[in-house]
Amino acid sequence: MEKSVLRDPGFYVMVAIGLAAMLILPVVLDMFTIMQITQYVVLAVFALSLGYIWGFGGILSFGQAAFFGLGAYTFAVAAINIGETTIPLILAFAIPCLFGAALGYFIFYGRLSDVYLGVVTMVVTLLFWKLANHTAGPEYAIGEARLGGFNGIPSIPVMNIPGEPEAMLDPVQMFQVFMGFLIVVYIVLRLLIASDFGRVSIGIRENETRASLLGYDVRRHKLVVFAIGSGIAGLAGAMWATYQAFIDPNAFSMEMSAKALVWVMAGGVGTLVGPIIGVILLQWLTLKLGTMELLNSLAVLGAIMMVLVLALPKGIVPTLRKLIVDGWTLARRKKTGGKADE
Amino acid sequence: MSDWTNILETRGLTMQFGGVTAVDEVDFTLRDGELRCLLGPNGAGKSTFFKCLTGQLIPTRGSVTFKGEDMTGWNTHDIVNLGIGIKTQMPNVFDGVSVYENVRLSSRRKHMAAQAKELAEKTLERCGITHLAKREVGTLSHGQRQLVELAMVLAAEPALILLDEPAAGMTGEERDRLARLVLESARSAAVIVVEHDMVFIRQIAKFVTVFNRGAIFREAMIDEIMADREVQEIYLGKQANVASA
Repeated sequence: MEKSVLRDPGFYVMVAIGLAAMLILPVVLDMFTIMQITQYVVLAVFALSLGYIWGFGGILSFGQAAFFGLGAYTFAVAAINIGETTIPLILAFAIPCLFGAALGYFIFYGRLSDVYLGVVTMVVTLLFWKLANHTAGPEYAIGEARLGGFNGIPSIPVMNIPGEPEAMLDPVQMFQVFMGFLIVVYIVLRLLIASDFGRVSIGIRENETRASLLGYDVRRHKLVVFAIGSGIAGLAGAMWATYQAFIDPNAFSMEMSAKALVWVMAGGVGTLVGPIIGVILLQWLTLKLGTMELLNSLAVLGAIMMVLVLALPKGIVPTLRKLIVDGWTLARRKKTGGKADE
Repeated sequence: MSDWTNILETRGLTMQFGGVTAVDEVDFTLRDGELRCLLGPNGAGKSTFFKCLTGQLIPTRGSVTFKGEDMTGWNTHDIVNLGIGIKTQMPNVFDGVSVYENVRLSSRRKHMAAQAKELAEKTLERCGITHLAKREVGTLSHGQRQLVELAMVLAAEPALILLDEPAAGMTGEERDRLARLVLESARSAAVIVVEHDMVFIRQIAKFVTVFNRGAIFREAMIDEIMADREVQEIYLGKQANVASA
């Protein structure tokens, strides 16, 4: 943890892989695949929001979809009313972030334990889902944007170049911009985690009591971490809304929250790369199994997830990392005749 | 802050759990720079009293003042930020991170990055655990973790150090080192040590407060306490005889 992120080769490797994917994939892959990968990118940003608060702040939220959906609806309503997408994108980060801060205030300053935090976040998601489903009438409109109840909001503007509402992004440009978002979110989170604030957050994750015994205000730290995670989930929601040009109350569904938990758990809690890999692997599997004529693709997917969680309880990335380190140590020991540890 | 004579004072401090009174109307004073040991059998109320001082428990009645400031019912982090260093009964450390990072997180609270680093390194050396700096705390023995926690307390440069059973689970060598560290720390800060280990107590104690049934039973110099038959027989049992043998 002491190693500065700027001296960590892994950080540069990850950013380079991201940049390479952003530039090369559109050249070598067909449009359908690029659009498919764009979906993974959006969901990866969403998974990172949970991966950050859970893995680096010890906050296990069962309702991350609340912020995802809030971001999506904020973006949709603002973009329809404003007629361009730059300010709505900022709002889609800011409003869930503020809502997360307000909710976090009651959770953390109210000293709710982890279990209650999970319950509260889950209930908030269900409330949003219920609320969004009951906005079908024409009276449920914000400016030009009708919320549409369970039918959702159609014709959400496609993302445009800032200041040029007419210059909408084509699917390849959208993929590249979203990859850019993913890379920026990854970099910002890595820097944040390596900062003193991030180190204290990790300390809090490890032992809240000790953190407060050192004089750190645990409540305030957790609130900030939670709000940042909420903002990132909101950003992912906005990306989802503009990618589909449509949003409905399912953005608030428990399924979305549960998927995020599974992606992070499968990829590895306490890493940033893990949630990204979790999304790619499990979404790709979902897609592939869906196209196969299996008895029940969902049951097969569920079985795969169970095997993943049981066989790799720490997740894919931490397990791979351990295997590599152990293999490296063993190889060195063999080479030096058992003196590698000395 | 107002004028003060005693660095720490409690007045009528009471802690009740349902019908049970764990700490009963305790009036306690500690002078600046004093080293005080709190003794007593299990269930005497020492640890509950300690937790009332550190904000881990909010007392039912009474007050706690530090340097003349009433800090009764304050949050732990606010109490710590007044200048109080706390080591709890079970080692409270960050298991998943290195020893150095544990100590640096403490020194960083008051100092800029470069000074915090220097102070963390000095404290590790002072506690004799520099060789463990890169080790993850979760991989250390109980005694080593106790030393890491003490290093975290010392790296914050507190004016008052509260140590709850710091020698528990330590080897003889670690305990001797701890005794030296406590005596050395007492030159620049007031110290309260809650402890059962009589060998350790004899190494460090001068003035001692004996607790029983949630109240202060005796306050005297260690030799007087050790010679007190009532204390020996009722509160310290055979351990006192062994230690003084």
